[in-house]
Amino acid sequence: MTRTAWSAPLALFIATQAAAQDTVVVTQWDQFAQSGITAAGPAMDELIATCKPALNGAEVLRTIAPSIGIRDSYRLAVSAGKTPDLAYTWPAASVLSGYARVGALAPLDDYYAQYGWDQVNAFYKGRNSYDGHVYALPMEQDLMGVYYNKALFAEKGLTVPTTYAEFQALVETLKADGIIPVAFGNRDRWPATNSFSLILGLTAGRALEEKVFFGDEPWTNPAFVQAAQTFQDWAKADYFPRGFNGVGYDEANALFLSGKAAMTITGTWVLQDMIRGAKFDMGVFMLPPVKEGVAPGTMWGEGSQWQLSASAAPEVRNAAAAYLDCLVSPESRKVWVQKGYTVPIGTTPEELTQWGANPVVQEFFTSGLATPDTNFYDLHTTLPESVTQVLYPELQRLVGGEVTADEFLQAIQTAWETAGANGERWIP
Amino acid sequence: MSSRPAYFFLLPALLLYGTFVVVPILQVTAYSFFSWDNGIVQEFVGFANYARLASDTVFWAALGHNAIWVLLTLAFPLLAGLLLAAMLAERSPRTIQVMSAIYFIPRTIPLVVAGIIWGWIYNPLFGLLNYGLDMVGLGTLAGAWLAEESSALASLNVVGAWTFFGFCVVIYLGAIQSIDPSLYEAADVDGAPWWRKFRDITVPLLNNSTLFLGLYAAIEAMRFFDLIWVTTQGGPGYATEVLTTHIYKTFFLVGDFGYAAVLSVVLLVIVLSLSAVAFRLLRAK
Amino acid sequence: MNRFTKHSQTIILAIFALYALAPVYLVLLASMRSESDLFNGPLSLPWPIETANYLRVWTESGFSTFFWNSLRISVAVTILVLLTAPLAGYAFAKMRFRGREVLFAVFLAGLVVPAPSVIVALYGNLQVMGLIDTHVGVILPQAALLMPFSVFMMRTVMQEVPDELIEASTMDAATPLYGFLTVVVALARPGLMSLTLIVFMFSWQEYLLPLVVLQTETLKTIQVGAASLQGRYGVDYGGIAAAGLIAFAPLVVLFLAMQRSFVRGLSAGAVK
Repeated sequence: MTRTAWSAPLALFIATQAAAQDTVVVTQWDQFAQSGITAAGPAMDELIATCKPALNGAEVLRTIAPSIGIRDSYRLAVSAGKTPDLAYTWPAASVLSGYARVGALAPLDDYYAQYGWDQVNAFYKGRNSYDGHVYALPMEQDLMGVYYNKALFAEKGLTVPTTYAEFQALVETLKADGIIPVAFGNRDRWPATNSFSLILGLTAGRALEEKVFFGDEPWTNPAFVQAAQTFQDWAKADYFPRGFNGVGYDEANALFLSGKAAMTITGTWVLQDMIRGAKFDMGVFMLPPVKEGVAPGTMWGEGSQWQLSASAAPEVRNAAAAYLDCLVSPESRKVWVQKGYTVPIGTTPEELTQWGANPVVQEFFTSGLATPDTNFYDLHTTLPESVTQVLYPELQRLVGGEVTADEFLQAIQTAWETAGANGERWIP
Repeated sequence: MSSRPAYFFLLPALLLYGTFVVVPILQVTAYSFFSWDNGIVQEFVGFANYARLASDTVFWAALGHNAIWVLLTLAFPLLAGLLLAAMLAERSPRTIQVMSAIYFIPRTIPLVVAGIIWGWIYNPLFGLLNYGLDMVGLGTLAGAWLAEESSALASLNVVGAWTFFGFCVVIYLGAIQSIDPSLYEAADVDGAPWWRKFRDITVPLLNNSTLFLGLYAAIEAMRFFDLIWVTTQGGPGYATEVLTTHIYKTFFLVGDFGYAAVLSVVLLVIVLSLSAVAFRLLRAK
Repeated sequence: MNRFTKHSQTIILAIFALYALAPVYLVLLASMRSESDLFNGPLSLPWPIETANYLRVWTESGFSTFFWNSLRISVAVTILVLLTAPLAGYAFAKMRFRGREVLFAVFLAGLVVPAPSVIVALYGNLQVMGLIDTHVGVILPQAALLMPFSVFMMRTVMQEVPDELIEASTMDAATPLYGFLTVVVALARPGLMSLTLIVFMFSWQEYLLPLVVLQTETLKTIQVGAASLQGRYGVDYGGIAAAGLIAFAPLVVLFLAMQRSFVRGLSAGAVK
């Protein structure tokens, strides 16, 4: 009873005091958890405090997003016409551009110039742009890779594969030994999108992806078909546990952590949980390119991005920009790495070593960041929502063996064309 | 007597209901006639959004699933409830009380929690169902239940039935207990077996309850949401997609408010028609 | 009935009891496991029995707060419904006035409103009213959603009360309201008790409204809390099980306590 009863009059008091003193208040929505072992909420609070001087008297008022999730609640807020000044939300690309298109977001080009946010390279800047202007500041970055059970590999005399053929041979050896090669659970529908993004990039390469996403190349091109077929073949060849379309993402990870599966292909967003849960020596390697002639690389995505409401007053926007500049500074990055358990954009492998990040974290990011020019897109934060909602079920059917690779890609192509006709496509 | 006092009696309920239910329904109906972009209204388009229904394969699949759900619910938990109630009616009051409490307990479990629990039971890796099948030597029947398009909807319906059959038992029991025992005595004198008494005496006299439960089940089968959302979210593929999940996704994930409103209106029209039928039939009794 | 029939019936009754209780038993077992050793057989009895999960969920995960929030909301909704629906039910059952049939039909129509359809418009309205992220913003819509069923049930129950009794009381009483209170409430007790249980259960179990309306962690309800435990990246099955049990145990207790009048009221209200 106490906290809620006090918070209302207290908030009113603060608000009136603030109004009286003309303090600028920046309302912030984010979804950093406050409790839990790897909660980044406390780090966020700490940084709000340390960044206060940079704000010149303005205040940041932080709210954790509704339980329905920040993505859905931001959409509700946009439609109700009442968005928070600052929100750390996702996805970027088409969803972000959708909001930009309807005028809900303030452009950040001037702030980028003013503060020199160069750690945001062209790849990331593009993902946060619409129609030539940039509308968000991405902070976290995520990579994908293959977590593997080092101890198990050593025991069975297996080595990390450097080519796709070696990877296939490795899987066959594991199967013969009765070990599940790759833990995978797609009941939540999104894990397959990540896996497919990885396979796609390693089969088609970034250049071809960009021809499809930003140009007129159809989804049904041969390289994409090969990628879809590869994914389906993996499922058919028992790379994954039985009934994977009914296994949850966490359960699949638990399967890997319990030692019953040798590998799992997922991303850095779950690194901390993996590190804590693994009772064995764990390592990460990058999946080799699937198709001949395609450069090595991995899927590179941002966790969330900071976006500014178009309806925020100029003083609020300036204060927010100053605050953001502080949040992505090297000093703050150190706090994010050490206490927020996340690796912000711009962090170098050397810094990770310097700041004492976990060896697995270092291993992951060192390999992943070695290929910035060929790293490719995460499908499900890149496509328009209406296409994503087709991608999810169709992917389940593809790996479940219910549709062929051609049918799958045709379904996506149809949804893609409709989305394009409706003006939903993201063009940076 | 003037109408005034009655209106005062009605006012609180009407105000509450009007503000938070009727007004949103009218708003959503209005939404359906406009085009939207990311939750911001654009322009009036008349029935253009409605025209999309014809080519929306997901809508028709969802509608089919709702219909299947209605049939499954009528076939299984309703019949089971009837049979169980008839069987229980002849036992001691203590047994009746204990058993009907046991059957009703699943109803007290929120669908969100039920979804989580049954998700575990059905889990292909460590779930009870496959484990049990393995133990009794029927391991070959083990499957991915919620993960396979062929079994997902039925598996979920078993969960829905689990929460519903106890409710049916309770309703039927209440009705059975008001049946005149002399009717059964007459049949006993003729030497009629149990199932014949059940079929010829019990069932017809319970028509009212059956009608009520049947229509209740049908309407619920059209508007339920929580169970599917917590387990499969409409998957695998589109196998468990129903109207409410399609509406939710269109509103929140795709952000197409106009079309989502259309789907809502269609759903409302369907359930309103069903209830109108219900009311007409119940009144005729 | 011969012995064979009786025994086979007993078996059938027992099988359904198993069907009803097995999942509950599973959750009980899971909640008492100390480690989430998922892959060691779902039926293995945990030893020693751990209550640590309950404690952890209650204190660390904030379930104690969620519990009291749910309690507060559900009690408020129940009281609100009990203050409004019986009055309306009485009016429909016993009073004559213009538009009675039409208004009743309007109420009935709301029986079937699915939450996902109206939630977006409702959110916008609540935003305008300043009720987002407040308990009131959950209480009022929940009570409103319950109006159709409650009014319908109350009308049915009130119809059972003999007219003569009402006339007798209104002749003595100053206002119809007084007549309503003294006679009808006393006579419609079982129906009112059933309604209480049904309303409380609905509000306690409801998921979508608190999910959308409530933001601040300390305001959330127990269903939202239980569901959100599942979404995180870690696997805490013991905790989820404990949370699930906390989430529905009160309802079981409430039902068992009120079973008899509940059953009576339910059958009466539903079938006539």
